[in-house]
Amino acid sequence: MNHNLELKLQAWLDGELSGPESRRVGQEIAQDAAANQLVTELRALKSTLAGNEPVMTISETREFYWSKIERQIQRETQVASPVHAARPANWLRWLSPLAGFSAMTCLLLMAVRPFAAPTFDEISATGEGMEAVTFHDQSAGMTVVWLADAMPAQPLEAPDAKTPDTGDSEVEME
Amino acid sequence: MSQQHDMSALNDTDLVRAAQKGDMGTFEELVARHRDKIYARAFSMMRNEDEALDLSQEAWVKGWQRLVQFQGDSSFVTWMTRIVINLCLDQIRKQKRQRAESIEVLEEESGGVERYMPVSTPNPSAGLERTELRRRIDRALSQLSEEHRTVLVLHEFEELEYKQIAKRMGCSIGTVMSRLFYARRRMASLLASLKRENAE
Repeated sequence: MNHNLELKLQAWLDGELSGPESRRVGQEIAQDAAANQLVTELRALKSTLAGNEPVMTISETREFYWSKIERQIQRETQVASPVHAARPANWLRWLSPLAGFSAMTCLLLMAVRPFAAPTFDEISATGEGMEAVTFHDQSAGMTVVWLADAMPAQPLEAPDAKTPDTGDSEVEME
Repeated sequence: MSQQHDMSALNDTDLVRAAQKGDMGTFEELVARHRDKIYARAFSMMRNEDEALDLSQEAWVKGWQRLVQFQGDSSFVTWMTRIVINLCLDQIRKQKRQRAESIEVLEEESGGVERYMPVSTPNPSAGLERTELRRRIDRALSQLSEEHRTVLVLHEFEELEYKQIAKRMGCSIGTVMSRLFYARRRMASLLASLKRENAE
């Protein structure tokens, strides 16, 4: 028996053939013993399987089985609407343009600053016997403090005499 | 507990209607009612308990998400079964891509052993208790190739037509007919040999 005929017999059994073709195959089955035997086998198997699908039961409890489904539903709901989940309060939304504007202003100031005139302060203080001059350069971030003796310069004395302090300086970095 | 008891009095249609409005409690009742059937369908296709369990739960999640699309053209459990079948078919496709073509697939193209088998006993189920028959069917199913088993399950248990199976499996009707034929012949042979084993 060729394979096409086998498939036709099966299709006949499953009711997949059109009216005229079904009648033609039916006649062939009636006349051909081998075809008849094959159809008998296929039909027997079909009736054996019908209504006898193996029964399976889940060993997990109802609550445990459901809990996994519920968690997954909740997880996917959150993923599906991330905008909703992460939506900021209304007032916070106004902060975005403000923050942007502030950032732009800062950038602009930083860009313009190198071309601006250097800004520095100089403070001079005179005390008894001591003069202090503080120089602060904002652009360099540096403060220089001069400490100087306010007494008028004295003539040089003997070599063993104490050398006058002519202007020690201390540098502090901010 | 009393809520569960109350729900047991409702039919599927009422539960579905309530669930479609967002009542997750009624959906949980539907899951409890039909979880074994959905799991059994997944197991019959995958032959792996863990995979079947995961896929059955995934099917319920999808069922919830698509519940508004359920129009009641078929029963709820039939609709859910279709979902789990599609998930199983997707999983089978993924697995198939991951592994090399098996000898069984090659044999299928050339007809396989079943092509030349003599026609066996007319009724492999004669004289068997139902439980024993189901056990044997389950054992025989596990010995079929994935492709043969899937076609057989979809045709014999889900009662899908050739063209519906072809559409779901993404193959031609000719392939479905061929696979179904060899699956049946192999099943007949396996059931007959199981019967002989038992007699000895």
